[in-house]
Amino acid sequence: MSKRLTRRDFLKAGALGIAGTLGIAASTRLAGVSAPPAAGHQQSGHGGDGPHGMTMPVGEVDHARNGFNPSQILTDFDTGTVSRLAGGQTLREYWIVAHNKTVEVMPGIDFPAWTYASTGPGWHNPIGRIPGPTFRASEGDRVRIHFFNGSDHPHTMHFHGIHASEMDGVPGAGPGLIEPGQDFTYEFDAYPFGLHLYHCHAFPLARHIAKGLYGAFIIDPAQGRPPVDHEFVMVMAGYDVDFDDANDFYHVNGIPFHFQLNPIQIGVNEKVRIYLVNTLEFDLVNSFHLHANFFDHYPTGTQLTPRDYTDTIIQGQAERAILEFSYKYPGIYMFHAHVTEFAELGWAGHFEVLA
Amino acid sequence: MTTKTAPPSTPHKLQTLGLFLIPIILLAGVIALFLRTGGGLEFQSPVPVEELTVERIILTQPPRGDFLIELVVRNTSPQAVTIAQVVVNEGVRPFHMQPAGSISRLATAHVYIPYGWVEGEAYGITLFSTNAVAFTAEIPVAMETPTGNPATFWGFTLIGLYVGVIPIFLGIFWLPALRRLSRAWMTFLMALTAGLLIFLGVDTLVEAIEQVPQVPSSFQGFGLIAIGAVGIFLLLDAISRRWAGSGRNESAKRFNVAFLIALGIGLHNLGEGLAIGAAYNIGEIALGTFLVVGFIIQNITEGLGIIAPILRDRPSLASLAWLGLLGGGPAILGTWLGGFSPSATLAVLFLGIGTGAIFEVVYEIGKLLQKDTAARPAPLLVFGGVLAGMLLLWGTGLLIK
Repeated sequence: MSKRLTRRDFLKAGALGIAGTLGIAASTRLAGVSAPPAAGHQQSGHGGDGPHGMTMPVGEVDHARNGFNPSQILTDFDTGTVSRLAGGQTLREYWIVAHNKTVEVMPGIDFPAWTYASTGPGWHNPIGRIPGPTFRASEGDRVRIHFFNGSDHPHTMHFHGIHASEMDGVPGAGPGLIEPGQDFTYEFDAYPFGLHLYHCHAFPLARHIAKGLYGAFIIDPAQGRPPVDHEFVMVMAGYDVDFDDANDFYHVNGIPFHFQLNPIQIGVNEKVRIYLVNTLEFDLVNSFHLHANFFDHYPTGTQLTPRDYTDTIIQGQAERAILEFSYKYPGIYMFHAHVTEFAELGWAGHFEVLA
Repeated sequence: MTTKTAPPSTPHKLQTLGLFLIPIILLAGVIALFLRTGGGLEFQSPVPVEELTVERIILTQPPRGDFLIELVVRNTSPQAVTIAQVVVNEGVRPFHMQPAGSISRLATAHVYIPYGWVEGEAYGITLFSTNAVAFTAEIPVAMETPTGNPATFWGFTLIGLYVGVIPIFLGIFWLPALRRLSRAWMTFLMALTAGLLIFLGVDTLVEAIEQVPQVPSSFQGFGLIAIGAVGIFLLLDAISRRWAGSGRNESAKRFNVAFLIALGIGLHNLGEGLAIGAAYNIGEIALGTFLVVGFIIQNITEGLGIIAPILRDRPSLASLAWLGLLGGGPAILGTWLGGFSPSATLAVLFLGIGTGAIFEVVYEIGKLLQKDTAARPAPLLVFGGVLAGMLLLWGTGLLIK
């Protein structure tokens, strides 16, 4: 552990690129957007700014004001309130609120989002996030989602999985749309194991999803998956901030460029498992590319043997996959959409592999 | 008891002033009340109305400087606007602003974006405000923005010479030949000039209207056209009436009309030069040889128009030279202004002034024609001349449109 570079050391090394540092110092000051100096220095560490430098926003969003941080979402698995049913079946209960929330999606740009928040019983003090909570259950568990609509528009929760029609969370089946101020309990058995997702299914669908009502839903196999050193959730999506039905920015876990400014730290030879979900609206495909490495690819996570060994995958809307890999050499490695336009508009990040 | 009215005196003047001030004082009160209470109006847009006009785009590259895209933006919305992020061709880019922070109403700011642009390629720039409003600017063809060095200065001077000065002098050289024409043909030429000018006037007006969308909305492009056109029309009319009343002879009066024609054409060429300079500045036109030849052929008719009223007189060479310079010289001035400091607002104003000047001159020629044809009516000659003039410009216009 003592050999590990701290993030601060790493940033200091980067700050030696004087031109880049001065450049970004000037930019953050002049644009009147307050940015933590760390965010600025990061830039020179990755090749500097200047006319041919990396794409980069000016400043960094206020995570505290947003109420969530993409780095924390990586490892935030919500296993619910666990109890046992009479027959011995495990019961997982969740209290979820859909509510309106202004999210600073890019430094200085506020977006009127719709979010899901996981609260305790009673739905008190919801703090919504994008993506919504990552639900995690084991195959065969009973899942009970107590959903309250605290927004000013009707919403639902539509889970991908195998369940009864009235639990499908769509207009015209079961309770249909949940009106503002109303609640409903979605209940089903977690099946099949794999990596799934959920989202609002109110119309207009694309807008309801793109404004933030989506999240990952992991069902572990009953016997579990082989142990790894790190498990990360990555939900890929975008923001259409000017409402022209075209994405202006792209992100993983809610904030564009976040993992470019805040690399994910892992160790050499540590096993990493990524739960990757694509909930991108308006664009046909999204993709994931890992630099200087290859990964085992488990589409939808419904098989325990990988389908292929690759470094780039393509996902359409609602496609998802489990990726497993480890890094042989220490250093900084990019991961990003190989739809490079998305990468330059925010869907890019770094792994920092420590010796 | 006296009933006679008091003679006007100072107290009464003060009283009048006071009466004038009453509504203004009341207005101040209403405004103060409104600002304090909001006047009971509770309509509020969920997102503030924001408007930003990109007035100029300046591109630099080595060796003159770093690769840089610089935008000059003007805030024409009711309140301050802050630019939060900049996207160039589908990529978020670092940038900085001068002055820093938000742009107050009607103020301008410079946005500096380090960017490795490539000559000849096209770029789209999106500025996002803090309210997530997107403003876009386009670079149709990227090229280094000319700066005020002697070479580019001479380049713009040459464009002005080709487009304005040379063709007009070429037209003036027709004078010895045209002088041999009969009176009737001279009348025809006057009518032809009127036709040319009507066509030019419409052309100038259309160009002004086309530029209006580029003018920041608070500067009211259409209003500027109207002010420029009506103002210059009435001014020239007043000047010509003054001259008419000064008891000079007919020959001097005809020279005055030629002078006004030259002035009107000069103002038109100033606007044309502004437009050409500005278009050249952003790489929108390449003045190929074909286009320059076209301009010379079309504008040679302008020289013809200037001398039409003075065919029967013997103007000095010096005065002819002045007329030519007055008509063509402003084109050079226009290309300089348009090339080095393009401003759609200024262009629209000058095009408006050009429109008014040209139509006033048509009015002057009309008066001369009326005088000429009073003795010997020749309606077909006038009809044919005006139409021929318009067709001439339409035909030569095929070369440059």
